[in-house]
Amino acid sequence: MSLDAASLCTQLLVGLSRSMILFIVSAGMSFILGVLRVPNVAHGSLYMIGAFSAFSIYTYFGMGSTGFWLALLLAPLVVALVGFVAERVLFCHLYEREHLMLLLFTFALMLILGDLVKMVWGPEYSSIMPPGGLKGSVSIFGSAFPKYNLFLLVVGPLVAVFLWLFTNRTKMGKICRAAAVDREMVGALGINVSWVFAAAFVLGCYLAGIGGALVAPTVSITLGMDHDIIIEAFLIVTIGGLGNIWGALVGSLIFGVTQAFGVLLWPQFAIVFPYAAVVTVLLLKPRGLLKSVW
Amino acid sequence: MRYRGRGFLLVFSVLIGSLLALAPVAWAGGKVIKVGIIDCYSGPPAVYAKDALNGFKLALKEINKKGVLGRKIVFTTRDTKFKVDIGLSMAKELIMREKVDLLVGTISSSVALAVSDLARKEKVPFFVWMAKSERITGELGHRYVFCTGENTAMAGKAIAVGLSKKPYVKYWIAGDDYEYGHAIGRAAWRNLKKFKPEVKKVGESWWKVGEPDLIPYLTAIMSAKPDAVIFCTGGRSMTNVLKAIKATGMAKKVAICIHTATDHASLKPLGPEAPEGVMGTMDYHFYYPDTPENRAFVEAFRAAYGEPPGFPAFHGWNTAHFIAAAYRKAGEVDTEKFIDAIEGLKIMSPVGEIEMRACDHQVVEPMFLGVTKKSPKYNFLISSDIVTLPGPEIMPSCEEIMALRARAKK
Repeated sequence: MSLDAASLCTQLLVGLSRSMILFIVSAGMSFILGVLRVPNVAHGSLYMIGAFSAFSIYTYFGMGSTGFWLALLLAPLVVALVGFVAERVLFCHLYEREHLMLLLFTFALMLILGDLVKMVWGPEYSSIMPPGGLKGSVSIFGSAFPKYNLFLLVVGPLVAVFLWLFTNRTKMGKICRAAAVDREMVGALGINVSWVFAAAFVLGCYLAGIGGALVAPTVSITLGMDHDIIIEAFLIVTIGGLGNIWGALVGSLIFGVTQAFGVLLWPQFAIVFPYAAVVTVLLLKPRGLLKSVW
Repeated sequence: MRYRGRGFLLVFSVLIGSLLALAPVAWAGGKVIKVGIIDCYSGPPAVYAKDALNGFKLALKEINKKGVLGRKIVFTTRDTKFKVDIGLSMAKELIMREKVDLLVGTISSSVALAVSDLARKEKVPFFVWMAKSERITGELGHRYVFCTGENTAMAGKAIAVGLSKKPYVKYWIAGDDYEYGHAIGRAAWRNLKKFKPEVKKVGESWWKVGEPDLIPYLTAIMSAKPDAVIFCTGGRSMTNVLKAIKATGMAKKVAICIHTATDHASLKPLGPEAPEGVMGTMDYHFYYPDTPENRAFVEAFRAAYGEPPGFPAFHGWNTAHFIAAAYRKAGEVDTEKFIDAIEGLKIMSPVGEIEMRACDHQVVEPMFLGVTKKSPKYNFLISSDIVTLPGPEIMPSCEEIMALRARAKK
């Protein structure tokens, strides 16, 4: 095993690009968890719907670069719409229930959405391709690095910046943050908390949709994607600090990078690395790395 | 999970109830040969199960025109949902209530092994048409189980035969961290070592089944600079692997060999964007061999179902013809005579003559080693420069199988 600087560097970049997708998905989950106090197990299903919608949009617009960019733009909106309907019809009646009930409810929703996806898109594997300029790989320090992953490395921070601007610079974002800390007080100030929750839920779903659309060109789009991501997202949200989107960022970076280095250092047992990192973090900081809003 | 289980049980019992209500109607009138099919008709594996069933149905249409010993072959299906307990209870139900003469199935190796054990106890012949574990007809084989598709031992040996003729020395083995992946990897490496003792394994990597991001694995492998990589993967992971190979440009730097990489079910979703130059082994292609038998099969299949047959359809078609030919040879509908008749039986399949080997009940069929390549005829990649590896060359010998079984008994 050659452990030269070049392969370490590529591996770091590969790990970081995976972290970006994990971040986008788990930030949405963490945001919903923080503001609405709903541990949304169906978040993975929304991510899967994002990927499948991206596939449909991509196919509809002729499977080219235009198709891809439109998919990236529109698929998250489709997911946001699904989220909006789910929130207004189902979730908004349940906020006062205990967490266990909410957990069961979102679990049921995950199963239902999974079957809906099967009914709408069928069980076949689907796939979409990155647009012209992002196909193939570039050479970084002599190792091949997929261009699409470079693109992910750009998109991830962009999403983070927009999230920061939203939560710190807009009135809506500030209200969301306030609602996460003390929802009674926000209500007492005469703000319609119900609509704040709806907005927060839709934003979380929108992020899941972006994650699904972004991951689509790198994997096969299939049933079961929801289960794959939801466990990782939950772990990330937990180690980052429940409800803290910056915690989700830190958690994603830890998860993605330890996985990438695990693969390089000890490939037979690479699966263990990110989970070992999670256990270590939880042993040292049981409430997560950053401040939990719970 | 308890809540899910309860709801599931309810649906499950309703399903069984409705199936029981329908079944007798289907089999009314005249003497028939009953085949019970258990397979996974829900979730991602349903694509393959449907294809296999279509191949089987197509063959039956033809067989039932003449009939077998004055009877028709009829079948009923049960969904295993890829679960051992459900598969097993479905198989029991088919044997006890429906009194099927034969069982056929399934894509899951663990379901196949469990049902195989039941078949042995109940003395009902069981044809495995898709599950690829070599243990089914290997160490756990017996008189009542048959495999009509290739298994991991054959796939691994085919890869080894193909690669031993190439100049590569440093190998890396990578794949899905489950029985199928490891079985192919073991068989390929064991045989490659035998055919070409100078080969060296520089490393292995195994990812969890369904791992969405394989790029870190591929970049790590490339930094170790092996001459060739054997990927042991299948199903949805195959598409992920092929995409990651394309994204990293790996096929241009390292030789890659994957069993079923040349399957059109994996290549078609990727369209023209699948990586070129990946070696793959496969026991069936609808476009190869270009013989009258294969053309006739493909045309009939297309006319009936609107798409070309995949390897499961090929296995399904062969299974039906093995069953019909064995009954005709046996001369009466009797399980023991049927088994005596099928041992060593040869039938004409779309790819030529294939044989049910007497010693272990494993089908002897050729394997096609090819390289993925763009084709002007299709909008997806196909296997090209195909080398046919004859069946006997890629099978473990009868002595090896018997030694395995003797060891398993101890």
